[in-house]
Amino acid sequence: MTRAVLILVFLPICVYGQPNCNVYKLKGDSACYHGCMASNVDFGQGSRQSQLQFDKAIELCPTFDYAYSEKAVPYLKQGDFVTWRKLIDKAVELNPIGQLGYRGWCRFQFIRDYKGAIEDIERLSSLTRFDIGYSINSDYHLNVAKALCYKALGQKEKAIQIMEKQFSEKDYSPMTYDYLHLGVLKMETGDNDGAILYLNKSIAYNDYMAENYYYLGLTYKRQKKMKEFKENMEKAKAYYLKGYKRFDPYTSPLDKIYLSDIERELNVAN
Amino acid sequence: MKQILLPLIFLTTFYSCSQNVQESEKYPLHVGDISFDKDVDDPNFKVCNENRVFQYYNFGKGIQYKGEKPVINQYFKDQANLPERIGENGFLTIRFIVNCEGRTGRFRVQGMDADYKEKKFDKDLTDELLSLTKQLDGWIVATHDKEKFDYYQYLTFKIENGKLIEIMP
Repeated sequence: MTRAVLILVFLPICVYGQPNCNVYKLKGDSACYHGCMASNVDFGQGSRQSQLQFDKAIELCPTFDYAYSEKAVPYLKQGDFVTWRKLIDKAVELNPIGQLGYRGWCRFQFIRDYKGAIEDIERLSSLTRFDIGYSINSDYHLNVAKALCYKALGQKEKAIQIMEKQFSEKDYSPMTYDYLHLGVLKMETGDNDGAILYLNKSIAYNDYMAENYYYLGLTYKRQKKMKEFKENMEKAKAYYLKGYKRFDPYTSPLDKIYLSDIERELNVAN
Repeated sequence: MKQILLPLIFLTTFYSCSQNVQESEKYPLHVGDISFDKDVDDPNFKVCNENRVFQYYNFGKGIQYKGEKPVINQYFKDQANLPERIGENGFLTIRFIVNCEGRTGRFRVQGMDADYKEKKFDKDLTDELLSLTKQLDGWIVATHDKEKFDYYQYLTFKIENGKLIEIMP
């Protein structure tokens, strides 16, 4: 029973998010409890008060990795990756299992540091026998993010292998963009049937993305099926104009398309 | 009693003020704030509300540029004259304000090597990317409820051997 309670109490600090300060209270660590509580007041991300509050938390509890990683966030979002890295490295040093996946994901999403992201995700895998988890924005399993890094480095077959292995894992539920990326990879490696299969799976799973139709259209174009090519590009445009497209407020995700991409293909189709 | 109280009040006030000064010196009002610097900034560039400059992502639309991100990519691909420079690797970030009229100013540059350490890039390379960034004129004015706002934007250029590989965000 005690063990079960302890697991429940500790769980929120293992997964990412606002920490459960009671962990420290139960351990009798008053300094870290107060440090943790100090970091729980919302002054607005990146504000002076917010940054000072994290300093206070760190002063009270120097091992509190959450304060370092949260203090780092505004630097990341504003392109100051030098300062971000100093802070996030400290968080990783204090809690590698809790922070490596997050740092790796950010290196991929914001900096396109593909090799660095792979290093972090693989190091995390080596440190735990449990599932390594998902990206902070919940878009990807970290193994899929790793696959996308390999794709960006030109190792597309390896990316496909990693994705297919992940998708076949027992109890794995596909994420929103999984089949889109695998479909695009299949297309890019010349497996048109595979591309059509996975892009249609992506449509069945989430029919709110112009990208599905755009890449489906491109695949038909490769097969010289010009009628299907045009139909899908027209559909991609209609979806795009309705706002049904890949979107991230901070960065441009991999395999995202733009209106000019679709219009260029429509010019070919017409 | 009065002789003790007065110095105590003075000392407390002084300590409190000096602490506030220290705190305000430690961080700007908001991480990443760019104040006007008469030595480098164009005095004709004005922001509509100095106390309320948002971040580009606050509007939930990503990068707001006429023709979207591909126009920026194509512009640098066509215009950037960047000869090969062996060993010039890393990331060059240029951050600036897009004001409520869509004009840009207060440009700041930060170079970073592959190990995320501060790096000073070749001057010609830096000048070329900075000059081209200053000439971008398709920034869309940020609006919310029909009100126009100033916002911070950045572009990070991934450089390999002096060549432009990728543009973020």
